[in-house]
Amino acid sequence: MTSAINSVFSNLKYLVLSLSIFSSMLIGLLILSEYVFLEPYVVSHIPSGTEFGFVLIVTLSALSALVLPMNIFRINTLKKSKQKMGGGVFGSFIGAVAGACSCGPIGFAVISTFGSVGASATAFLTNYEIPIRLIAIMILAITYFTTVKSLKIECKFDPKL
Amino acid sequence: MKKKGVIIGVIAIAIIAGIAASVSSSPSETMNLDMSRTHGTISTAMGSPILGDPSAPITIVEFGDYQCHQCYNWFHNTKPAIMEDYIKTGKANLVFVDLAFLGRDSPKAAQASYCAEDQEMYWEYHDMLYNLQEDKIDSGWANSERLKAIALDLGLNNELFESCLDSGKYSKRVQYNSQQARDHGVRGTPGFFIVGPDGQQQLGGAQPFSVFKQVLDAMI
Repeated sequence: MTSAINSVFSNLKYLVLSLSIFSSMLIGLLILSEYVFLEPYVVSHIPSGTEFGFVLIVTLSALSALVLPMNIFRINTLKKSKQKMGGGVFGSFIGAVAGACSCGPIGFAVISTFGSVGASATAFLTNYEIPIRLIAIMILAITYFTTVKSLKIECKFDPKL
Repeated sequence: MKKKGVIIGVIAIAIIAGIAASVSSSPSETMNLDMSRTHGTISTAMGSPILGDPSAPITIVEFGDYQCHQCYNWFHNTKPAIMEDYIKTGKANLVFVDLAFLGRDSPKAAQASYCAEDQEMYWEYHDMLYNLQEDKIDSGWANSERLKAIALDLGLNNELFESCLDSGKYSKRVQYNSQQARDHGVRGTPGFFIVGPDGQQQLGGAQPFSVFKQVLDAMI
C-alpha cells in the first residue's frame, strides 16, 4: 500500500495535483458550509453541533486528494481504462454537493431557478447531508483500495516501472 | 303578525351575534402595522415587531427562514451574545424579516409567527420555532398541526390562532417580506443588514459573534 502511494506521490506533478485538490475542495466546502467566511472579514468558526460535519469535509477532501491523483497516474502511466476513475470522481462530486445546496446562495439559486423541483432536490441534499457524505467517503475508500490493489498488480508486471 | 315577529326576532339575533363576534375577535386580530417603517433602504413594515429599544441607534435586520439550519446555528451560537451585549444594553435592536423559501412548511411557519403577534407573543413564538427546529426540511415539524400545537403550548388562544393560520391571513405579508429580501440582494439565509446612523452594511450567513461585534462597534 505504501509503495503504491510512494510511486505516485514521488512524482512532483501528482503531489502538486493532490495538494491542489485537497486545498480547493477543503476551502470550497468550508465556505459553502459556512465554516469560513470571506466577507467582511476572513474568519473561520465551527459552531457547536456541527463538528461532525467539519470532520466529514476534511475526510472527503483528503480522500479525494489521495484517490484522484492515483487514478490519473494509473491512466497516464499504465495506460489503463478510465473506468476506475469514475468511482473517485463520483464520490468526490456527490460528497461535495451534499449540504452545499442548503440555505446558502447555491440552494437559493437552485430553488429560484427550478421552483418546487429545485426545492425538493435541495431539501433532499440538505436532509441527508451526513449520510450522503458518509456514502461518498465509502465510495472513495473503496476506490482507493481497488486502485492500490490494481497499481500493485499492474506495476509488478510492467517491466518499465 | 306572528310570522313578522319571528322574522324580526331572527334578524335581531343575527345582528347581536354579528356584533358579538366582531367584538370578540377584533382586538387580537387587528394588524397594528406602521406601514412607513423602514430601516435603511429596507421596508420592515411587514416584518417582526422590534426586539429591544426602538430608539436604539443601530438596527440589525435579519432575513431568515424557520426551516434553515444555518439560521438555527446563528440563533443558538451568535444571537445570545448579541442580545446580551447590544440589544439588552440599548445599543441595538433587531427586526426579523422572512425569506421563507426552503420548503412548503416555511411560509406557513412564518405566517404562524404573525398569528402569534396578533396575541402579542411574536418573539416567544419565534424563539419556540428555532428551539424546536428539526434538522430535516418539510419533515412535518413545522406543518399546520404542529404550528397549532406550539401555539397551544405557549398558551395562545387556540381558536383565534387556528382561524388566523387556516385563513392564510398573513400569506401576503410573508410574500412581501421575501420580496424585500430579493430586492436587497439577499441570496440565502440568514442574511443581515446592520443599519446604523451613517449607513448600512450587509452580512451574509451565520457569521460568528466576533464579526458582528466588529461591525457594530464601528457603527456606535
